[in-house]
Amino acid sequence: MRPDDRKYTKTHEWVKQDGDTVVVGITDHAIEALCSGNVGDLVYCDLPAAGRTLDAGETFGEIESVKAVSDLNAPVAGEIIETNAAIEDHLEILSDDPWNKGWMIRIKPSGKGLDDASLMDAEAYEAHTAS
Amino acid sequence: MALDEAHLLGLGPLGQEDRVLRFTTWSPAGTSLGYFQKLTDLTQLPEGPIVRRQTGGGAIHHADELTFSFAAPDSDPLYSGPVAESYTRIHGLLSAALRDLGLESEPRAEQTLASEHPDSGMCFAKSSRFDLIWPNGDGRPAKGVGSAQRRRGGRVLHHGSIKLRADPYERDVAVVERDARAILDAWLPHLGRAQVALEESAISPAELAHCRARAEHFTLR
Repeated sequence: MRPDDRKYTKTHEWVKQDGDTVVVGITDHAIEALCSGNVGDLVYCDLPAAGRTLDAGETFGEIESVKAVSDLNAPVAGEIIETNAAIEDHLEILSDDPWNKGWMIRIKPSGKGLDDASLMDAEAYEAHTAS
Repeated sequence: MALDEAHLLGLGPLGQEDRVLRFTTWSPAGTSLGYFQKLTDLTQLPEGPIVRRQTGGGAIHHADELTFSFAAPDSDPLYSGPVAESYTRIHGLLSAALRDLGLESEPRAEQTLASEHPDSGMCFAKSSRFDLIWPNGDGRPAKGVGSAQRRRGGRVLHHGSIKLRADPYERDVAVVERDARAILDAWLPHLGRAQVALEESAISPAELAHCRARAEHFTLR
């Protein structure tokens, strides 16, 4: 079972409340789909600068493995107030600890935040990845 | 490349459910950069037009080659599951077609290749374990088919290049030494047996408009 202290998207991002902000990352399933257990297969991650405003579902960045480029999508609307620059130089962080050190962006939500009905809890996400 | 992007975005008649197989040969020859590449990543800049792909990886000099691009929803049986599995399916069907042409290819796995020149910025000078290889003109294992995927908004674009003849910008690669039509004739039956849709269709108005809008940003040189 994946962490139940956060919500998940169908496109395999997670979002977790942290005070009046939320942090966003991608799930172990997303990483496994891109690199099938080969940590070195992740080659590039492009994250946005702080200050950008996002709609829910909007693409905020891209991640490249040796064989595929995938979009990173915002689970909630809001303003990016911080990005995890360490990831861009150390992509192994995403494989080692996708749930904590592998966070990508911090957002100050402007809409429903984690109450958005399209977001899934851990149990629903488990069923989504199994389908 | 703009048309491939339109296919990735699902601008065809069936929208997000649209499935497209596209095969291309090039005249004149041109170079495509990987999605994140800069011109300065290339140690030698080939002559001719330069375009950018939606897919990642290194640059490709498209001269004597058959280029293929498949676009479909990520739920399609060809693409579902991890990226590695979809590569195995697509390259498996291509490898079967090459075998019909008398050429035995295999995934690179962990083999060292004669075509490796990793600092050049070119796609065929690097390899992954999924790339199809066979002996080059010197009889050494080398990359002959390279692919890359873009996954966006629930759809997948799979780009690939099959090298037909030797190319000064793609040193030591493995080549098929058959014309593009022969490969296509061998491949289509395998794709059909895998229940890949093979109906011919025209470019939709939305796809054409997308290409025209993109063309305004570029000038061929």
